[in-house]
Amino acid sequence: MSFIASVKNIYHKLLWTWNPGSEKEAGDAIVKNLMLHWFPNKISKGSVSWKYSLWLGTISFVLFMILVFTGLVLMFLYVPSVERAYSSVKDIEFVVSFGWLLRAMHRIAAHLMVALVFLHMMRVFLTGAYKNGTSTDAKRPLNWIVGLVLLVLTLLLSFTGYLLPWDQLAYWAITVGTNIASSAPLIGKGTRFFLLGSNEINQNALIRFYVLHVFFLPMIVLFLFSYHMWRVRKDGGLAIVDREALEEKTEQTPPVKTKTYSLLGITSGATVHVQNTMVDEEKNSIPAVPNLTRRIWLVTLFTVLVVVVLSILFRAPLEAPANPSVTPNPAKAPWYFLWLQEIVTDTTINLGIITINGAFIGGIVLPAVLIMLAVWWPYRDSSSINSVGVWFAPERRRQNMVFIAICVMIIIFTIIGTYLRGPYWNFYFPWEDWPTMPVRF
Amino acid sequence: MKFFRKKESPIKSEDAQSDSRRSFLQKLGLGGVLVSLAGFSFQSVRSLIPNVLYEAPQKFKIGFPSSLSDGMTFLEERRIYVFKEGRSFYAISGECTHLGCTVKYTKLNQPKHVEVNGQKKEIPFEFHCPCHGSKFYSDGTNYAGPAPQPLHWFKMEVSPDDGQLIVHMEEEVDQNFRLTV
Repeated sequence: MSFIASVKNIYHKLLWTWNPGSEKEAGDAIVKNLMLHWFPNKISKGSVSWKYSLWLGTISFVLFMILVFTGLVLMFLYVPSVERAYSSVKDIEFVVSFGWLLRAMHRIAAHLMVALVFLHMMRVFLTGAYKNGTSTDAKRPLNWIVGLVLLVLTLLLSFTGYLLPWDQLAYWAITVGTNIASSAPLIGKGTRFFLLGSNEINQNALIRFYVLHVFFLPMIVLFLFSYHMWRVRKDGGLAIVDREALEEKTEQTPPVKTKTYSLLGITSGATVHVQNTMVDEEKNSIPAVPNLTRRIWLVTLFTVLVVVVLSILFRAPLEAPANPSVTPNPAKAPWYFLWLQEIVTDTTINLGIITINGAFIGGIVLPAVLIMLAVWWPYRDSSSINSVGVWFAPERRRQNMVFIAICVMIIIFTIIGTYLRGPYWNFYFPWEDWPTMPVRF
Repeated sequence: MKFFRKKESPIKSEDAQSDSRRSFLQKLGLGGVLVSLAGFSFQSVRSLIPNVLYEAPQKFKIGFPSSLSDGMTFLEERRIYVFKEGRSFYAISGECTHLGCTVKYTKLNQPKHVEVNGQKKEIPFEFHCPCHGSKFYSDGTNYAGPAPQPLHWFKMEVSPDDGQLIVHMEEEVDQNFRLTV
């Protein structure tokens, strides 16, 4: 017996008491299996295609799992105290066997997760997947909002993790971040005090961000992720399923009935089951095992591979220990916040006697407006059922263009902040040299 | 209130009182749960607001007037620029009023002449913020970048017990403040 066959044999002996004799039995088996019950028995061909969803959500989750596993090991090695945090990270980097790899993987996966969750959101928008399709019970706009919350949580997880090494990067990121919070009128100062547990950045702040990073925020992400997945199932699967159902209907043109006499009286619609999206079992759907599970494994393996290779190529940096008296020049936030840093720089407004701090406009008002806009959008989007689950539906061209414009603006600001800003946040072209700056004054 | 599905009692109670008693007890139970949740939330959040802060004092001695050298001295720990001009002293905060980065003292090659708040002033040096590029004149007045306010000035005094200089970070003063010793 070959090696794989013997592994399969052991797997079957341990987990199965019988062999499914038909597709129906196999389907039942999925529902009865602890690990598989969250998949449907059958899945539409479009749902598992590479080119529709690009599998961005799955990749995001795989990255989250990599972060959980590497993070768990790092928790054994890291000490969340002002005196020892920096040296424990230094030990992870230079003393612990494979510590550098764990840390690099944790960092790369975190960066990629921010990017992938954002891309996932773009995919959902551009395919009109936040729209309810043919199934009447769907609440896809709600799931879109859950997704937005998950995006914000991903950013918060990154931000809180950024601080833990307690190096210059950490210290000045928390300084800028918490001062943005304190620029809000009335509640700002109190919020900053509550976030830091102090007026200054010290042990209280470190332990707070640590607990948020390793327990509080991941727990909320796990909970919301489960809900996100459950909603996908309850909303009739991916939006492309609605699309397929629609196409089938136009193909078959079944006899039109406006009423159905059911046991409970008259119901509207063609059949009693009209609430379920009807996908032709034979033609469009395939068993979830192995068609879906195989692809999930492939995506997982590919994601892990990319993360490991990138981690070997790009080691996680560690700057000088935190020094409250010297701000690095230039002091930059992580790349996914640089568009905000760029905006925070440009938005201080002078209205005669009142000057509004750019931190408030760029750091609080603008992100809040963007998020509210995103929350409100699906309810405003009145395009027809034909634009659900299709890339770049003609009917949604204008909205897609506005959305892409906003995303491109964010990306442009990110690039300016990352590559074109030098000491004192002055503008430098990539081919220009930065002047040498004294370290102290 | 239908928080719980009511089970039909096998024995039909003809007494309406028993029904209202049941709903009263349900409300009481629900109220108890809500009150205990509120209490737990309050104590949890309140415990995270510290009552004692182990922070450095806002008022501190920085040494004898004679021990400071002429011109600028930067107190690293407290991020304060202290200036000595002959016998007068003043202190300017090094914390940018935009987002709290430490501004850098930048000596100008030749002094600038500018008008600040209607006064002509000679500016021998400036403060530049590395985070978002705010710029301040030597008296702390903001003139470029996103900073919304001038740098803060702190009150200084001479300690009555030993004659050392004291900086009061809790007390702001205007830009005309000078402590003459």
